[in-house]
Amino acid sequence: MFQLFNRVVPSIFFAFFCLVILPLNLSAAETGEYIAIRKEGSGNIALVLDKLDANGTKESRFAQSLDTIMYDGLDFTKLFALISPPLNVRDYSDKKNVVINFGALTSVGAEVYAGGSLTRKSGMINLDMKVYDASGSKLLLSKTYTGREEGLRSIGHAFCADLVELLTGKKSVFGSKIVFVSNKNGFKEVYECDFDGYGVQQLTNAKSIAMNPAISPDGRSLAYISFAPGRPTLYIRDLAGGTIASVGKSGVSIDPGWRNNSEVAATLSLDGNQAIYLVKTDGSLSKRVTNNKSIDISPAFSPDGTRMAFVSSRNGLPQIFIQDIQSGLVKRLTFSGRYNTQPSWSPLGDKIAYTTWEKNGEINIFVINTDGSGLLQLTQNNGENKSPSWSPDGEMIVYTSNRQGKEKMYVMSSKGGNERLLLQGDDLQTQPSWSLFR
Amino acid sequence: MKKNSIIVLALMVTAGCSSKSAVTPDQVTPDQVTTNQATPLAVPSLPSGYGFDQWQTGPLGDAFFEFDSSTLSTEAQEQLKQNGIWLESNALKKALVEGHCDERGTSEYNLALGDRRATSVKEFLVRYGVAPSRLETVSFGEERPFAAGHNEESWSKNRRAHFVQK
Repeated sequence: MFQLFNRVVPSIFFAFFCLVILPLNLSAAETGEYIAIRKEGSGNIALVLDKLDANGTKESRFAQSLDTIMYDGLDFTKLFALISPPLNVRDYSDKKNVVINFGALTSVGAEVYAGGSLTRKSGMINLDMKVYDASGSKLLLSKTYTGREEGLRSIGHAFCADLVELLTGKKSVFGSKIVFVSNKNGFKEVYECDFDGYGVQQLTNAKSIAMNPAISPDGRSLAYISFAPGRPTLYIRDLAGGTIASVGKSGVSIDPGWRNNSEVAATLSLDGNQAIYLVKTDGSLSKRVTNNKSIDISPAFSPDGTRMAFVSSRNGLPQIFIQDIQSGLVKRLTFSGRYNTQPSWSPLGDKIAYTTWEKNGEINIFVINTDGSGLLQLTQNNGENKSPSWSPDGEMIVYTSNRQGKEKMYVMSSKGGNERLLLQGDDLQTQPSWSLFR
Repeated sequence: MKKNSIIVLALMVTAGCSSKSAVTPDQVTPDQVTTNQATPLAVPSLPSGYGFDQWQTGPLGDAFFEFDSSTLSTEAQEQLKQNGIWLESNALKKALVEGHCDERGTSEYNLALGDRRATSVKEFLVRYGVAPSRLETVSFGEERPFAAGHNEESWSKNRRAHFVQK
């Protein structure tokens, strides 16, 4: 019996293994190998990002801009230790073939080398990039990125995205957006900006109070709360088509969170009780999720949409709970801290970020595993830190802090550290939410 | 002492304070007070934060709350009874009850808490006999504070259900 078991299981496993592995092409398999090596060494990836080669005045100017865009982009992720390229890194003695001097790279401690050239043809930019494993002198990536001259940022970031995905095996932040509330025009309106604070755009102009914007996983819909009709009301806007659905004929609507591309959950006090409902993008109600006499707010879903973290006052002061959507079973997640709110479920599914209002008056951001273990404090001694939201790769968290006076957006590593201001300005910035799409 | 204050408030309400109430704290004269042998009502720093202030301009007085609570205190209930009497004798009038919170904590929770404050006020008045259709509720959470300070004196003023006559 045992022998049979021993014989059958490995062969099933092997069959499964083949199914998973065989469809992948060679370069992806090599990439997997590289990622495996990296995980053991952990820490930042020692990268030499070389200056781009370019011929011609205009080309050189574009190349310089792209150098900066790519450097700043990769630096923003804090995944890399960016090493200045050694002087003799490229050998031009053979005019047809530029030779990389891997010896020079390893002597400065580089693990990875990225370099390339820029050419221009009828208003289009071609960026040819090559990435090498510096120690093994193995080519990891060779790809051409093409785009219009005005789109240098997206050309450069497309390469950055590929590089991060190649080296970490995870989605990057490049191309993702952050929606937030600002009082720039004297009212609270919804704005969006790129992941790095670049390119701020105003999305609402209701001259009222807007709250808690959240973009659907596919980036097509924006849910937010607006006081424009006189009461806080849930709006769901189709960002491409511009159509808007509103929800809730009575009571208030609070803090929407997307379950998937077609369903958003929010608190609606339709019968006087603050309960969480699932709402379709056309504004119709699909399901009541919580049914408790207390306050239930701030739904945040697991990536597969089967579980929902939320805030409830069912035990007195607000704490975070997790509810299984299908069974309705509820489990309390937070036991440390008397006032825990604003849960945000990590895109990898394993952690939840939230805020604790502490006895000393500070509000701080914590991360906890979904099983309640591994509690980690991310901010301290810096006033009120609120509204954490994960980057799509799970590496960073955007939040607000009043550490320099006015409440403003900051980003930090999701393991803590590297806290920095995201967006300058005199405005008040609140309730940021990082999109999953890119 | 507080009860006396409430009686003074009640007298003033029933005596028909018109839309621009004259009963702002600094306008309470010593004479008014001595008639009831009580200390001045609605002194800004009254510990419970309860009482009239410049933001109550109609015939309906506001109800004040403790931190993170939507429970109606005895004082709040007394005020609401007076509001109930006025609503009874002004049967065509409607009111909007706005729930407000102080700035502490997080804004989503405060929006819910403000909704509970407004709702518990409405429920009290409905039990008192006011038709539910005459009372609308809304929450502003911490979005529209009355007092601008960042201390308990201001916070106590901002934890309220505010009446707006419709």
